[in-house]
Amino acid sequence: MRAENSVLTVKKMTKRFQGTTALKEVSMELFNQEILAIMGENGAGKSTLMKILSGLYPGSETEGSIFLHGEEVLFESPIDSENMGIAMIYQELNLELDLSVTENICLGRLPLNKVGLIDWQKAEVIAVEALERLNLTLDMAATVRNLSPSMQQLICIARALVRNPSILILDEPTSVLTSSETDMLMEIINHLKEQGMACIYISHKLDEVYKLCDRIVILRDGYYISQYLKQEGYDSERIIEDMIGRKLNVMYPSIEKTIGEEVLRIEELKVPHTSAYGKDIIEDVSFNLHRGEILGLCGLVGSGRSETINAIFGSIPRTNGKIIIEGKEVNINSTRDAMRNGVGLLTEDRKKNGFIGTMSISHNMTLTILEKIKKLFLIDRKKESEKARYFFEKLSIKAPGLETLISSLSGGNQQKVILSKWLLTDLKILMLDEPTRGIDVGSKSEIYKIINNLAKEGVSIIVISSEISELLAICDRFVVLGHGVVQTELSKEDASEMAILRASSNT
Amino acid sequence: MKKKSGAKLFSANIINKFMHRQESSIILALAVYIIFVSSVNSTFISSGNIFNIFRSSGFALISITGMTLVLITAGLDLSVGSVLALGGVVSGMVAQAGLPIPLALLSGVAVGSAIGCINGLIIVGLRIPPLIVTLGMQYAARGLVSVITKGVPVYPLPKSFTAMEQVKLFGIIPTVVVVALSIAVIFHIILGHTPFGRSVYALGGNEEAALISGINTRKTKFNVYVITSSLAGLAGVFMAARLGSGEAAAGTGYELTVICGSIIGGTSVLGGTGTILGAVLGGLFMEILTNSLTLMHISVYWQQLVVGTILILAVMLDQYKRDLMLKHSIRGNTQTEKAQKKLTYES
Repeated sequence: MRAENSVLTVKKMTKRFQGTTALKEVSMELFNQEILAIMGENGAGKSTLMKILSGLYPGSETEGSIFLHGEEVLFESPIDSENMGIAMIYQELNLELDLSVTENICLGRLPLNKVGLIDWQKAEVIAVEALERLNLTLDMAATVRNLSPSMQQLICIARALVRNPSILILDEPTSVLTSSETDMLMEIINHLKEQGMACIYISHKLDEVYKLCDRIVILRDGYYISQYLKQEGYDSERIIEDMIGRKLNVMYPSIEKTIGEEVLRIEELKVPHTSAYGKDIIEDVSFNLHRGEILGLCGLVGSGRSETINAIFGSIPRTNGKIIIEGKEVNINSTRDAMRNGVGLLTEDRKKNGFIGTMSISHNMTLTILEKIKKLFLIDRKKESEKARYFFEKLSIKAPGLETLISSLSGGNQQKVILSKWLLTDLKILMLDEPTRGIDVGSKSEIYKIINNLAKEGVSIIVISSEISELLAICDRFVVLGHGVVQTELSKEDASEMAILRASSNT
Repeated sequence: MKKKSGAKLFSANIINKFMHRQESSIILALAVYIIFVSSVNSTFISSGNIFNIFRSSGFALISITGMTLVLITAGLDLSVGSVLALGGVVSGMVAQAGLPIPLALLSGVAVGSAIGCINGLIIVGLRIPPLIVTLGMQYAARGLVSVITKGVPVYPLPKSFTAMEQVKLFGIIPTVVVVALSIAVIFHIILGHTPFGRSVYALGGNEEAALISGINTRKTKFNVYVITSSLAGLAGVFMAARLGSGEAAAGTGYELTVICGSIIGGTSVLGGTGTILGAVLGGLFMEILTNSLTLMHISVYWQQLVVGTILILAVMLDQYKRDLMLKHSIRGNTQTEKAQKKLTYES
């Protein structure tokens, strides 16, 4: 119908990774002066598609074709795609925090004068012009580190504009923004659209997408599922159903257990933003947790889920809030305080702060109990390997032996080692941040089993996961965070993927 | 037939085990080099020369244990040379004042501990990189020595003080070697068998993960700097006894010898790995190198070039080993994944 208006066409795009296919024959089109939303769950293939469009995955390693303004193109690197007028704004801000606004906007394209030195005056003119397109005036000499996340986000966009793109791809640009900042960003995107730009907008937040986007394309499990037009009106129910699609399979074991008295109560928790100075990511959060209960902590990326549990664990500071364990207020200001009170934390990023790659399986397991396996001054090696062996066998960790380096294990087995580290302590409360991220299906199921068994034994558990279906299957209750506060609390009976998504995107 | 192949397998197993030890590279290098030098110059293996090697390497070996702890935590201490001078001067002055020798020895160690405390407090409390803090301390401590001595050596020292260094165990092993090796043994046990030692490895392997696991990373970090500086102070006492005077310029370049020795001995500059045995052998290698090059009439200038080259080679080897381990682990990874897949399919 509007073929002549098509800016970008993707035809039968397939991308295979070793053993898995992330994208299967996906075709889509982007029209002139259109804002198109691409939606789907994690693993639906959104980011794979975007990485193909931005040239991060070389075109020669994909099947299918891309047409720009009617001509077929092949992107072998991000530079190719950039030169053809596609600008990508990633979810993580990739700015040089210690350079000035001008330097960041012109980075990689700093104009040179006759002698071959940087022409700073010209650079500033270019940067100011780019910011003007965003209706923005800034102190050009300011260091980017001192700007708010939203300003930093806008500088990323300005940097993209310097290259004069015809297509702008934004990957979850509002995950670090407040609602008023989001409104401002949306205004700017609309403004760019009027100037002739076509946009692809990736977001989990339904309300934003409804307001901003002309069309929604939904992907699921690597397939193109459906599209919805704004003029026809968006139907939340159908959109969410299309996104979820698949039925829950039998990988979630169920177990009979009793939920006991209150173990943990959090009152008026307030946590400052870890990267933005002077802002609170958690403003006022209160909830409780019972013995043997598995509580799902939900919310979008950037809603402060991880920050909440890290603050409870004492690994990041909190500015306000009481932590009450078994009826007594406890003072948790460090990870050691948390451990003393029977609290454990499995972190979001295994490699970054979950395990110690230079150490063996058993040494990683016993890190938390070094003082307890001490005989006089020395570590009792026999006791150490006995304790490690118990969980090595109980959790059926697949490795040649206890002395194997943890870095040589698969993700699922690494996660089991990290879990053992906490199981070895006198655990009352275990907090799990994305426990199944990057883990194959078989190990996932085993990890759910471990979590369930722990709950049965009377350990209280808080789980964070981006896979809502996973949470629905294993949790007894749900707390949904958003905008720094608890949006809603749902019992197992009331909870559904739809209800949680609605509450987290606040529609 | 069978027996033969069994024996073969057994010896292959031993070799395999040996190669997987962290110290294997340095032991091999040391052996090859000793064989080479002794075939070129027979004085090298004379008992007199061996005694000399041990005697002069002792000073570096005392600090090398501490430095190895620091390096394993992914830290660095550049101030040990100046602390050595300070320890020597202070203990010399205490001895000159007629106080008992043990007290003189203790004062040298104590002044080292004090410097270590300052290093540790700044590094841990203010989160300033150890490179900067200890570089500053290298100058500051050296300056302090000059201020105390006004450039005049602390001389003469009482006979009873210098005698400390001249006692020989069984008539051939110098005191300083006995002290260095005892310290090495003690720290070998501490590093390998105590919660503190485990924390040192954890800190260097992944500080954040160590903290999350409830390890007191701040205390551990502070302690390693105090230990290193105290040992440098102790080395200073023996150096003063050896020279018969507390010299303000003693220990110039000492920190580099100690760091080089530890790294050549297999301590990773990236932290997380290293052993006391390896570091001690590395320190010996450094001394054997200078000693043998002198014996072979190679000028001092060339010696520095050789030492520098060997240091870089050692780090390259370390890197190569790490890459190999990583490759190995990736292969292992896919293998376990494959095995798992098989399992899930079967079940």
